[in-house]
Amino acid sequence: MLCLLVGVSLLAVGIPVWLIQPFRHQTPQDLEVSYLLRRWSPVGTSILAGFAVFWVLRLWRGSPGILRRGGLSLALVLALLTAWFAQQNHFEWLFRPPAHPEYAPAEEASFLAGEERVLGIELKGEAAAYPIRQMAYHHLVHDRVGGVPLVVTY
Amino acid sequence: MWELTADGRELEFHLAGINNENFIMRDGQTGSWWQQASGQAILGPLKGTKLNATWKREHPATRVLKRDPTTAGKYAAANWEEEVAAYPVVTPRSPREPLKDRDLVVGVEISGASRAYLLSELTDRGPVNDRLGDSPILLMVFEGGRSVRVFERTVEGQALEFFAATGVDSGRIIDTPTGSTWDLTGLAIAGPLSGRRLARLNPLLDYWFDWKTYHPDTDVYRAGR
Repeated sequence: MLCLLVGVSLLAVGIPVWLIQPFRHQTPQDLEVSYLLRRWSPVGTSILAGFAVFWVLRLWRGSPGILRRGGLSLALVLALLTAWFAQQNHFEWLFRPPAHPEYAPAEEASFLAGEERVLGIELKGEAAAYPIRQMAYHHLVHDRVGGVPLVVTY
Repeated sequence: MWELTADGRELEFHLAGINNENFIMRDGQTGSWWQQASGQAILGPLKGTKLNATWKREHPATRVLKRDPTTAGKYAAANWEEEVAAYPVVTPRSPREPLKDRDLVVGVEISGASRAYLLSELTDRGPVNDRLGDSPILLMVFEGGRSVRVFERTVEGQALEFFAATGVDSGRIIDTPTGSTWDLTGLAIAGPLSGRRLARLNPLLDYWFDWKTYHPDTDVYRAGR
């Protein structure tokens, strides 16, 4: 029973990690499954972790051997880890959004080579540029240009 | 670049996964998943909603995103284009496709019609007058392919045709039938249409495999067609 709980939890977080990884061909079904699992796994794995805690406490007294207790501990750690992982956005571990994006006037942007390419926008008299070398890491930057809220994507 | 307002509210986006080498973003308000290349919600409560694209242009008074000191070591190398070009491609390919997976294309979409223009075919060749769907459009690729401009070439209900101006005055184009002179930002600077501005379209400079994945009905421009 405990193994089943942990197994389901691991699959719920593991399947979308595998399905929507880079350099893999994704079908519309892959996305549907990943979306559903990512949507419900934070709640689902937390409930399963609660059950796992309950089962381990119940079995602990009746399992004096070091092997059995080791197994119970491992199951408990795995259940708690998967519940924690389901709350995380592992894509933002790899590509952290800038916490407080800062901007330099064009004449002070000495970190930018003249040939370097930018994503540029002018809206209602305000202009902003996002160097591609930075955008290729962050991927997403939120900004407001000419009063219009924007998401810059690369 | 996408406007953040959809469904009457301002959204906040996070990276949420990869769909065939184009990233998925998730909005924090409804949890819907959005495709970066199309700005379209593909799954969740806002499925089918599209974000508004905005147009881009360089400007002398621009402000520039600074490097974030906490992640400075992770920024792409100066030769990022070569590195990206060597990544594998995983999307299915039909034997009849006229372009290679990693050919760079200028992708244009107007009211449902999509066309891919091979970047190298347009680079430094002067203005290209084309018609996409019902819209007469003008494409210009200059500075060795580093600048891409696409405009609608209809002014007061009349479709203009553009030609490169010859002589010392490079960086200028001339229309027929009025003979007005225009600069590369789409502004008429001399002649009968002086002061008029062409409406700018928002092209996507993209790899062929990515453009065709998110514009499955696209066709491909061939010079002299």
